[in-house]
Amino acid sequence: MPGIDQVLARAMEIPGVLGAGLTDWTSGLTLGTAGRAPHGDHDAAAADTAEVVQAVARNATFDTACGNGEPLEDLIVTTGSSYHLIRRVPTAFDSQTCLHLWLDRGQANLAIARLRLRDLATELVGN
Amino acid sequence: MMSTPYSRSGGTGGAGRPGPLDRYAAQRATGALRGPDGCVYLHQGAVYCVECPAVADVGDRLATAGRLPAERWRRAVDAAGADHSGGQFLLRQGWLTRGELEVCQLAALLDAACFVLPPRSAATSFTPGDAHWLGVVRPVAAAVLLAAVARRRAQLDRLGSWAAVDGAPVVPVVPDAQDRPPLTGRQRWLLAHADGVRTPGELARALGQSTFLTLLEVRRLAAAGRVRLPPAVGLPRRRPGACRSEPRGPAGAGTNAPVWHLPDPGALETADPDVALLVRLRTALEENL
Repeated sequence: MPGIDQVLARAMEIPGVLGAGLTDWTSGLTLGTAGRAPHGDHDAAAADTAEVVQAVARNATFDTACGNGEPLEDLIVTTGSSYHLIRRVPTAFDSQTCLHLWLDRGQANLAIARLRLRDLATELVGN
Repeated sequence: MMSTPYSRSGGTGGAGRPGPLDRYAAQRATGALRGPDGCVYLHQGAVYCVECPAVADVGDRLATAGRLPAERWRRAVDAAGADHSGGQFLLRQGWLTRGELEVCQLAALLDAACFVLPPRSAATSFTPGDAHWLGVVRPVAAAVLLAAVARRRAQLDRLGSWAAVDGAPVVPVVPDAQDRPPLTGRQRWLLAHADGVRTPGELARALGQSTFLTLLEVRRLAAAGRVRLPPAVGLPRRRPGACRSEPRGPAGAGTNAPVWHLPDPGALETADPDVALLVRLRTALEENL
């Protein structure tokens, strides 16, 4: 069964990927990284990613809009040159972890990358 | 009653005067740094385990989630032996995947770190070579961990006006029908488990949840008027002629204690108080006493 490093190594096989990371989104603590980070700083990328997830997670608009309180799955940020994909890791126990990818928009397929990231997040915690 | 040292001061978060953790990290020390709030285990200067009695540990989190029975956790403790390989034992038995152990261990480490770090230097002792039975699962650089703890603390500080709920039993408040801001799933879940007896820290510990996130959500709920604020201490309870704001008559639907809604703290700050108005107000209030 894979650990954090193996899952991040597999994330680096996704077409168009530039870098990947696993982060605690309540604090921005880096739990693992692979490849490159924007501006060469994985810790800053983790802290910024955490702020984005916090901004979404604390609002009922995205969480309980349909009444059932299904937990957050993905956040997708697109820019002219990049995609940033953030996926919550679905643990059986309480944790606040997300897997995130930085992709080259010219090389990546957003739909494929999203499905691969979903599978990797699930593999990480053996569900 | 268990208290959680949620509002800490002193030490460093990577800036200012280095504390004992910075010192042992710089020396790439291996051992256990014990303080009044808990214990930090270091391997070659990196933190790989943090214990805080007030916070749910890895075993608590796995057991309450139904992921690993407490009895198997105890067997891992017994099997760890002199080489401190409890984590490896759990993996060898196939009871946890490596990813689960790493993610759960890091979640528990960070949560405990919020209430243990930075250690107050006067009251710490370092035992070189002392190791945790779980073993080194996935160490974190001390400076990176201190920065993460500081970011978590900043979130609590932004809701500092509602810190009074941290140590009090969580008592849900049913709002008026027209005044119901929507809640997140986690907030609903928390209110459903609030029994009016346990404090946020006790709830988190018993439910195997993050103590930090529970404190943060309870402060948010207090700010939204969905959790009762404990009675303020130090204020006179009775004044001649004063009356309590209890519901009267048959319309009173229960025995709820008075609910206090604090104003937005920003509204209380002013550089230019209208002293004349305040004096008139005080005079008028005194005349009615």
